[in-house]
Amino acid sequence: MDVVMNKTTVHPYSRSVSIIGVGCTPFMYTVDHPETNGLTEGEMYGYAALKAMEDAGVNPQDVDFYFHGEASPLNNSNYLTPNVQIANWFGMKGKASIHHSEACCTGYYAIEEAVNAVASGKYNCVLSGCVEFGDSVAVPDHPYKRSKISMEEFLRTTAWLYDRSYTRSLMGGLNLIYDDAAEWYKRTRGLTDQEMDDTLNWMCINNRKNASKNPLAIARTTYEEIAKEKGFDNVIDYMRSPYNPRMGDFLRASGLELKCDGAAAVIVCATDMVDKYMGNKTHKPIEVLGVGAAACEATTPHFEVNATIEAVRQVYEVTGVKPEEIDVFYANDFIITSHLVAAEIAGYLPYGEGWKYICEGRTAYDGDKPINTNGGRTSFGHAHAASGLADLYEAVHQMRGEAGEGQMKKIPKTAMLRGYGGAQNICTYIIRTEE
Amino acid sequence: MSESPIKLEKVVETFYENLEKGKITGKRCKKCGTVEFPPVYACNSCGSWDMEWVEISGKGKLHSMVMPAPLSMKPEYKDLGKFCYGDVEIEEGAHLNAVVRGISKKKRREILEGKGLPVNVHASIYQRDGYKTVVFDLDEDQ
Repeated sequence: MDVVMNKTTVHPYSRSVSIIGVGCTPFMYTVDHPETNGLTEGEMYGYAALKAMEDAGVNPQDVDFYFHGEASPLNNSNYLTPNVQIANWFGMKGKASIHHSEACCTGYYAIEEAVNAVASGKYNCVLSGCVEFGDSVAVPDHPYKRSKISMEEFLRTTAWLYDRSYTRSLMGGLNLIYDDAAEWYKRTRGLTDQEMDDTLNWMCINNRKNASKNPLAIARTTYEEIAKEKGFDNVIDYMRSPYNPRMGDFLRASGLELKCDGAAAVIVCATDMVDKYMGNKTHKPIEVLGVGAAACEATTPHFEVNATIEAVRQVYEVTGVKPEEIDVFYANDFIITSHLVAAEIAGYLPYGEGWKYICEGRTAYDGDKPINTNGGRTSFGHAHAASGLADLYEAVHQMRGEAGEGQMKKIPKTAMLRGYGGAQNICTYIIRTEE
Repeated sequence: MSESPIKLEKVVETFYENLEKGKITGKRCKKCGTVEFPPVYACNSCGSWDMEWVEISGKGKLHSMVMPAPLSMKPEYKDLGKFCYGDVEIEEGAHLNAVVRGISKKKRREILEGKGLPVNVHASIYQRDGYKTVVFDLDEDQ
């Protein structure tokens, strides 16, 4: 008997919804730099929200409602109602909002929530934003000071992601997050230990190459440059060395997220109203064709794999899009293996061959099958809730041909983004530039 | 009118109390026979909420093996001895992520280079700090 997975039939939206504006802060360690130390939740979210409104051509008064995402508001911000506590910062005082938290998947559900709100007909124009201080926590009873969060404290609080009744007690589910997908891929595709190790390393190398071209990314020094500085002639020799120690059964240090601070936001509106909202803006709206979602609590074996299979099935079924139509793919890869596993399950990379594409550099921004053109979680950074919308920010810029030095060779028309997180939610969606 | 089978029942507490009594228990669906382990209110296979307690046999199969490492190891896990994490299918059909004792890196290599997965395991009651839980052990003949 296989793992039990109930399935959902997803239906088309009641009306078409499009992305008309995006905003994003740099991903950063705010506490480490005098010019950013002391930034607050309202300032971070407010900046991203206003940049998205500016990009869309809308005034805050045009926006009907906003969603707010933050993975850990109580521990990191001392907030119980984070959407209300930042409400006065971006010109929407008095308008309704709601907070949601799906941990690292928050920024992907941010699109799901916003699109549903407009597709239902209730609202015409909606803001959805996320903010996270992943690298620091609020100093209690001080208006703006923060202190760095240690890895020990971070791991203590991430244990709260897991079911208290059984999962923490049984010890399996919460500890399999680091290596389960790698074990699954290696076993089912028949890779050797060396091939699996090199594949994980090349994902990190490719991610960093992408981030090196992105001014908002937190780590921009390529692994080739780092290897040379450490005296290695070959980057893969450096990646296999003790400079890049094993932190998991398969996972090395380079394959772990760079937890940091950041915010990102998006404006969506009814597609048939874009002319009203966008005014004299000339960029093309990007339609959200559909969203697929699933969740496997961490006691479920191969939670990421099983939930991704179901979410991807839904989004292809409801949109009618074929895998070969996807021009660029984003995966929330706070554990680097996600990047490979998600792309192959989605059919963006061929079954059993994805690892070769990665090791040949074909998934870098200038390759023929780009993944995470912003550098993903291991190089762009991981401001937990905000990462999903940061990926959307990047996808939108690629699709407009506005990605600067990191622009793909061929401007993508259709993108898939696969969110993951929260032990474990999967939310995947397809967007397409309107003609 | 028949009485509703839906009860505000302390399933979690009962599960752990049963472990104190030496019994490993799940919930079996009266409609389709699926066993939920660990136990919950409703059947995830058919949706029925008419469930009954059942003692599981403890026999199972291990379908995957991941070794503990710096990120997935805690000081209190040292008492487990050599172990791995993996997908365990109990004889009654349920799959869960669990700890399986008796597997070292060397043993994993022997299994993978030998007869391969799955291998037979059996459930054991294991004392943690303040409560008992369930782990699995590799069968001696594996």
